[in-house]
Amino acid sequence: MVTFKQYFRQSVTCKIFRAFYKQFVDFIATFGDIIANGVETLKFIMLGQIDRKELADQCVRFGISSLPITLSIVGMTSIIVTSQVASEMVKQGGGNFVGLLISILIVREVGAVMSGFAIISMIGSSLASEIATMRVTEQIDAITVLKVSPIRYLFVPRVLSGILMMPVLVIIASAFGIITGAITTAMTTELGFLAYFDSTWLGIYMKDLGVCLLKSVTFGGTIALISCSCGYQASGGAKGVGLATNKAVVWSLVAIVVWDLIFSIMFFF
Amino acid sequence: MSIKVKNLTKVFDDKKVLDDISFEVADGETLAVVGFSGSGKSTVLKLICGLLEKDGGEIETSEGDVAMVFQYSALFDSLDVADNISFALRERRDLRNKYSEADLKDIVSKKLELVGLSGIERKFPSELSGGMQKRVSFARAIVTEPKTILYDEPTAGLDPISSTLIEDYIVRLQQETNAASIVVTHQMSTIKRTANRLIMLYNGKIVFEGTPDELLKADNPYTEQFVKASLEGPMQMIS
Repeated sequence: MVTFKQYFRQSVTCKIFRAFYKQFVDFIATFGDIIANGVETLKFIMLGQIDRKELADQCVRFGISSLPITLSIVGMTSIIVTSQVASEMVKQGGGNFVGLLISILIVREVGAVMSGFAIISMIGSSLASEIATMRVTEQIDAITVLKVSPIRYLFVPRVLSGILMMPVLVIIASAFGIITGAITTAMTTELGFLAYFDSTWLGIYMKDLGVCLLKSVTFGGTIALISCSCGYQASGGAKGVGLATNKAVVWSLVAIVVWDLIFSIMFFF
Repeated sequence: MSIKVKNLTKVFDDKKVLDDISFEVADGETLAVVGFSGSGKSTVLKLICGLLEKDGGEIETSEGDVAMVFQYSALFDSLDVADNISFALRERRDLRNKYSEADLKDIVSKKLELVGLSGIERKFPSELSGGMQKRVSFARAIVTEPKTILYDEPTAGLDPISSTLIEDYIVRLQQETNAASIVVTHQMSTIKRTANRLIMLYNGKIVFEGTPDELLKADNPYTEQFVKASLEGPMQMIS
């Protein structure tokens, strides 16, 4: 005779509950790993244990290789928004404020967030798969046996390059976004460049620039830390590398949105 | 005594992979650890070199470094051969500023000479054959003059001639370094050519301990089955 307990264990409800429970435990474990790795990385950075050559290599990787895709995404977002609002604003008599609207949008939001998304796709996924491959091929075990800290050797230059290079990327991408906005405005309305740039600086304060830089530093460090951590926890073979990369991208995307919400509440509510 | 393992226990997911095992390895001696795949051979090495935490028992090694040669070499594929070998000397906190570039170059070339691979300093691991990668990983392992060397299936996946070459280098390193060595393997040629003694693991326990000659002659159902590679016997694979 099947008892209720046996029946429940085999039921779909129980399977769904178990799947949710597994996801929850995995979420807590991943979050804990990211925090622990972040603390240790910060400790090494504070102690100045930084491999300058490796840091320079990672900065080139983070900054130079991701610049084209970052400029493309921010530039295209600016064109899409400007082409939809500029003509309408001119019709409604607000043509003098097109530059102001676009610059506020880019400096406060689009520049940092879209650059973050570009960096996740370009750098985050590559960091996660690189470190996950090192994990499954026992290269990280070899580093440990040779008495070198994998966190110092792998995490510190990558996270620091994210913190240092992201603001540079965001500044360049934001400037590019404002310029593409001006070109789009000139092409879709009768408004000239002068009128656009006259209002560009009206709505941007030091606070906006400061928040933009703070966001970019946070986003850069967060993406690199999450990507390295997800790769570091990989197990198994090729499937493990794929899962770690997937996890790094999803976690980084969610983290960027959560950080953005926190910054919005802190500075603009 | 260079390696002393006493009542070592390791549990994975409620399964005792190692159940209260004890053995010792002297300086200059090579112990082979044999057994079926999944019998806990590699776990023994990972516990000794600190990659895994033990659940019970004691592990003592002589003062000095513990080196490990991994099954698939585990060379850093983004670094060339010279940087792979000198990695610990460049990156370890206690060794980082001890050697000049000229010293490092000299050490790398001496270690490569020891494993018969002079002149490949600037090659990357992907440009080397499996046997060469294995020998570079030997050179990397001994760069800090370790007192304990652990080999995880050093001849797995190699052709018979490359296996013989690797076995010769294990013996040569044993003589050059006088380190206590443990070789995890299930290849008879590696056992015969490299080991002074061996232990056989099954179900987390040591089921045989002796010399390679005794393995061949012993009146023991476990060793008989292993030597004959028979499906019939006390050791059953989980299919």
